[in-house]
Amino acid sequence: MASPASLSLAGRFGGRRRRVPRHGSGTTIVAIAVLAAIVLLCLIGPLFAKDPGVLDNANRFAGPSASSWFGTDQLGRDLFARMVAGGRISLGIAAGATVVSMLLGALWGFTAALARGFLDELLMRLADVTMAIPQLLFALVFVAAFGANTAGLALIVGVLLTPVTARMIRSAVLTELQSDYTQAAVAYGASRWRLVLREILPNVSAPLGVQASINAANAIILEAALSFVGLGVQPPDASWGTLLQQGYQKIYQSTSGVIIPALAIFLTIWMLNLLADQLGGTDDVRGRTG
Amino acid sequence: MLVAASALVFAILRLLPGDPIITRLGATAGANPEAIDQLRREAGLDDPILTQYLRWLGDIFTGDFGQSYFSQFSVTDLISRRIGPTLELTAISIVFALLIAVPLAVFCSLRRGSWFDRAVTTGSTVGLALPQFVLGILLILIFAVELQWLPARGYIPFNEDPGENVRRMILPSLTLAIAAAPLILRYLRASMIEVLDSSYIRTAEGKGVPHRRVVIAHALRNALIPGLTMLGMVIGYTLGGVVIIEYVFGIPGLGSLAVESVFKRDYAVLQSVVLLICALFILTTLLVDVLSEFLDPRLRTGRAHG
Repeated sequence: MASPASLSLAGRFGGRRRRVPRHGSGTTIVAIAVLAAIVLLCLIGPLFAKDPGVLDNANRFAGPSASSWFGTDQLGRDLFARMVAGGRISLGIAAGATVVSMLLGALWGFTAALARGFLDELLMRLADVTMAIPQLLFALVFVAAFGANTAGLALIVGVLLTPVTARMIRSAVLTELQSDYTQAAVAYGASRWRLVLREILPNVSAPLGVQASINAANAIILEAALSFVGLGVQPPDASWGTLLQQGYQKIYQSTSGVIIPALAIFLTIWMLNLLADQLGGTDDVRGRTG
Repeated sequence: MLVAASALVFAILRLLPGDPIITRLGATAGANPEAIDQLRREAGLDDPILTQYLRWLGDIFTGDFGQSYFSQFSVTDLISRRIGPTLELTAISIVFALLIAVPLAVFCSLRRGSWFDRAVTTGSTVGLALPQFVLGILLILIFAVELQWLPARGYIPFNEDPGENVRRMILPSLTLAIAAAPLILRYLRASMIEVLDSSYIRTAEGKGVPHRRVVIAHALRNALIPGLTMLGMVIGYTLGGVVIIEYVFGIPGLGSLAVESVFKRDYAVLQSVVLLICALFILTTLLVDVLSEFLDPRLRTGRAHG
């Protein structure tokens, strides 16, 4: 259930420090720590949080207190428990979507970069076409066609993020293909598979990490937006987007119902963006020295 | 490009499950297959997919977007009633975004590394991390619920009550502007810095051109041209955001029409709205390209040589 962005990036981080200790690595640590804390809270939260479904009519719109840290909603449900449960759905969809987009994007991008010529042209034009449609609108089209359930949403959002990912991977692979070490590998007779898996893949892992965290952030936005308009996660399940929607409907009664989901969404995306920025910086440094 | 995008949207909507006729008649009418068949024939839904697609595409060129499956209005009718608020909102938002981003970018590039520059840069990463609709809700919370300065939701056409129209446009357009401004700001700041470091700026300073004039007439003008391409992308991003912002603020535009049509499985409306917004996006990108060639003769000669 851990966000794939944080998993793949944790590995990158070790390598990064060995290479160039720079300013800003503190930011990376903070971002990873905050993300880890959010993921962990959502994973172990149910162990000590209340049942998110229990109604308590006596305590509607209660403010934060020792018994319910974030207060309660219009039906007296514990907001902390609902946030934890919602986070499992939101982060789960984001993780699934990131995996889907990275796998499909890698397949698409590698194929285009290695094939060149007509197939490359075709695949990239297809990416251009899909990118001309605003993502949220495209998501609406998919939801209209497929309907929405939690696994389906991860798939839809993942597919939506694929073209951008494919483009990025293609250009990263093309850069590596022109490098000396690729020439050397070709010269000593490395097979195509060896070239791709052993030579190129490890060398594009930094841009892949950047893209994965960008995709995770975008997946959270898309899922939250869909759930917010009621076309995403369906009741009785509730993601952060659903909670935001429910809080928004009762905005005049209680402000915490809006602020807390908004804060969770914002914080997660911010940290993912910071990670992407930091890793992107790493790539630049490598580009200059190599 | 547009044709390909339309084919894609059409194919996704048609090849996948969900029958609009059954939805329209309601579950109870499902008992009468003959009525369903008849309606399907009337709507032309029993023809091969390709025929349906070509007919739809052909009709669009004559300005006819077809018939809504759900309501008895034509799609052209529905769209023409909803497009006004969307265009108004997008235009105001872009103007706001430029008003926020351009002065800040110029100031930051002149005082780069200062506390102000760093504060603005940090602020822009915060802005980028706030999804448009989350930002919109927070603005409603602050300005409509807590301070009660502005109305939270709704739309009044300009020709009915100009004052109210503007009052109700402030929050949604501010939302979209704050979301778009960091994109413009980052780009323009970087290109301003590049231009300010160039030799012709030093020449201008050297021959005694007033500092103000150097910044505005020499630096900003040159920095804005690559920024124009960026503006095309920003407009695309804003058009995408309009969909959900209209929903948040209860504005009856194309975006809320799209959301409604998904709920009703009204594909005829949905595919036309998607296509129209794509067309707007592609058109603005094209316009921006033409405009930057017009403003920067180097782009024209560059093409002639290449």
